[in-house]
Amino acid sequence: MHSSRLILTATAMAAAMCAAPGLAQAQEFRIGALNPVTGAGSPYGPGMQKAILLAVDEVNAAGGAGGRKLVVFTEDTQTQPQAAVLAAKKLIEVNKVQAILGTWSSGVTLAVMPLTDAAGLIQMNVSGAPAISVEDKKDLVWRFQATNDRFGQAFAEIAKKRNFTRPGTMAFNNASGRGNTDGFTKAWTAGGGKVVGSVVYEPNRPSYRSELQQVLGEKPDVIVTGSYLPDTTIFLREWYQSGEKNKWIMPGWAANPELIKALGPEVTEGLISVDTVSSETAPSYKNFDAAYLKATGKPASSNVYAAMTYDMVISLALAMEAAGPNANVEQINSKIRDVSNAPGTKVYSFAEGKSLLGRKQKIDYDGASSKLDFDKFGDASPDFGVYVIEKGQLVRKEMISLKPASGN
Amino acid sequence: MVGFFNLLINGLIEGLIIALPALSLTLVMGINRFPNASAGDTMTFGAYAALGLQYAGVAFFSFAVMGSLIAGALLSWLCYRLVFQRLSRAPMVASLIAAIGIGFMIRSVIGLVAGHDLHTFSLPLVRAWNFDGIRVLPTDLAIAGVALALLILVFCWLKLSPSGRQLRAIADNPDLAKLSGIRPQRLMGMLWLLSGALCASGGVLLGMKAVVMPELGWEMLLPAFAAMILGGIGQPLGAVVGAVLMGIAQELSIPIVGPSYKIAVAFVVMLLVLMVRPGGLFGHVEKVR
Repeated sequence: MHSSRLILTATAMAAAMCAAPGLAQAQEFRIGALNPVTGAGSPYGPGMQKAILLAVDEVNAAGGAGGRKLVVFTEDTQTQPQAAVLAAKKLIEVNKVQAILGTWSSGVTLAVMPLTDAAGLIQMNVSGAPAISVEDKKDLVWRFQATNDRFGQAFAEIAKKRNFTRPGTMAFNNASGRGNTDGFTKAWTAGGGKVVGSVVYEPNRPSYRSELQQVLGEKPDVIVTGSYLPDTTIFLREWYQSGEKNKWIMPGWAANPELIKALGPEVTEGLISVDTVSSETAPSYKNFDAAYLKATGKPASSNVYAAMTYDMVISLALAMEAAGPNANVEQINSKIRDVSNAPGTKVYSFAEGKSLLGRKQKIDYDGASSKLDFDKFGDASPDFGVYVIEKGQLVRKEMISLKPASGN
Repeated sequence: MVGFFNLLINGLIEGLIIALPALSLTLVMGINRFPNASAGDTMTFGAYAALGLQYAGVAFFSFAVMGSLIAGALLSWLCYRLVFQRLSRAPMVASLIAAIGIGFMIRSVIGLVAGHDLHTFSLPLVRAWNFDGIRVLPTDLAIAGVALALLILVFCWLKLSPSGRQLRAIADNPDLAKLSGIRPQRLMGMLWLLSGALCASGGVLLGMKAVVMPELGWEMLLPAFAAMILGGIGQPLGAVVGAVLMGIAQELSIPIVGPSYKIAVAFVVMLLVLMVRPGGLFGHVEKVR
């Protein structure tokens, strides 16, 4: 008797919960936060999710955007395309979200894009694969991280500055890994240089000695990689054991504190790690840093992707404000460049932007992660930081700003 | 020439590591007659067990490895008693699916307990010995030594001890073995303990060379299966030779086809062998059921 009543109550509640979204839909905008909470992206995913929630709170506290409150539904990609597709389907079909924010790895973004495109939703990511720009046919996809191609250009710039003459490359066989080394090779050979040896390797191998041997046979003075943490750990150990003396230039997601922890300071000494850095002098970054520190106990600099996902919500909300009440997703999407790119009065927070938009002024949101000037592909171009590992610490040496992508 | 020898050494070491789970697979396949898809995750379990013991402060790495072999053996035995024994009269597919399920479970529990971050064994990093460009890693020698010792031990047991002989009798013809008074119960327990220890040792050796992650062993299942088939299903020596052969073929092909296609080459070798000898290197067609 008791239990059947319980079931009845539960059913009634479930029915009420199902009905509620339908009623509220008009006054709210639904965001799916699809982050790598577990898997290879797990050092970053939880912080990215937190940053989205912080930004949503900020927007809602300022009275919402375009007359609507933001509502967030969170899901985990597990850093795996299959799991991400299931999660995206759930967000789209069950939660009826209007934008999916915060996918991390390129494989995941490329898998989720066809779904968001078909449903006409806004997709925002921090992935690097150049293919994302090409596949984005409806201009609904926004990238807050530098492309792998630009990472490659930055690598070439660094190699030139440090007077390397015989670079070799090693790439993990996927869109992102090869994007890095292809970008490097393109920029390096355009500058008149020659790449002496290159190898593309498969994931999940017990050893990369033979692959290393291929590149080392050409006696490179530096090896540029498009690699990830597990494979880097394996081949860097094997490289050290082989007694070679060349230098390394790697992306920051491979050469990070985890790598130093796994291999120790001796192996990683002198390794050059390149990553995008947030707009650390911008007021928007300072606000975000304070909020993030309060929420997580860690500074925003500990997770470069968190600032990017924070900016996703703010620029989306500003676009909603600019598009006005009752705008549909397409109309909102068309305003994202307007509120983020120059020209316009520079603003550094949602509230600032909202009040200027209210006075019919043109604004240019400068984000916590970068200036957020989207090119014709919807790609932002953050600056790069160059770090060298010294005695087990990543020490920042210089910054590199590339010219915005032209032509292409 | 120097490059050739280096590739040969790499292939040999990789092959020897794969030989351990391949041997475990082929033993179970020959006697219980199903592909034990949880073998890969038993490898992972072994690697994490050694890692756990090391974190817990076990002084010598060899003690941690011993502990991990025992843990792997017990896990495998438990799986047999709780699941596979009950399914022994069911069709082969039932055991196969159950094994896949157990593998998933082991992997998920490891992920839940230890997280998805990568781990490494804390071992001293040593430079390779350089013989005129032919580089030999002391750790590789240790890996090869341990793998070979284990393999020899298993072969001695199978060929020389009474229980090994009885096990081979069951593999040959279970009904005839029963009629001649062999009681399979105790033997099965030993078989599964051995199978688990082999997997765990493969996992530890792989973890020493690569990195320890929850997917470590699962990724090695396919090569181990291939080695078993190449050698002839149910043929212990075949599994080992098959694994080493595929390892060497794959590495030696690198200068010709590049690292991305080396895995395919290993399978091409397998196809060619099976075309000439459909039962595998050491197998006979009529014995494959």
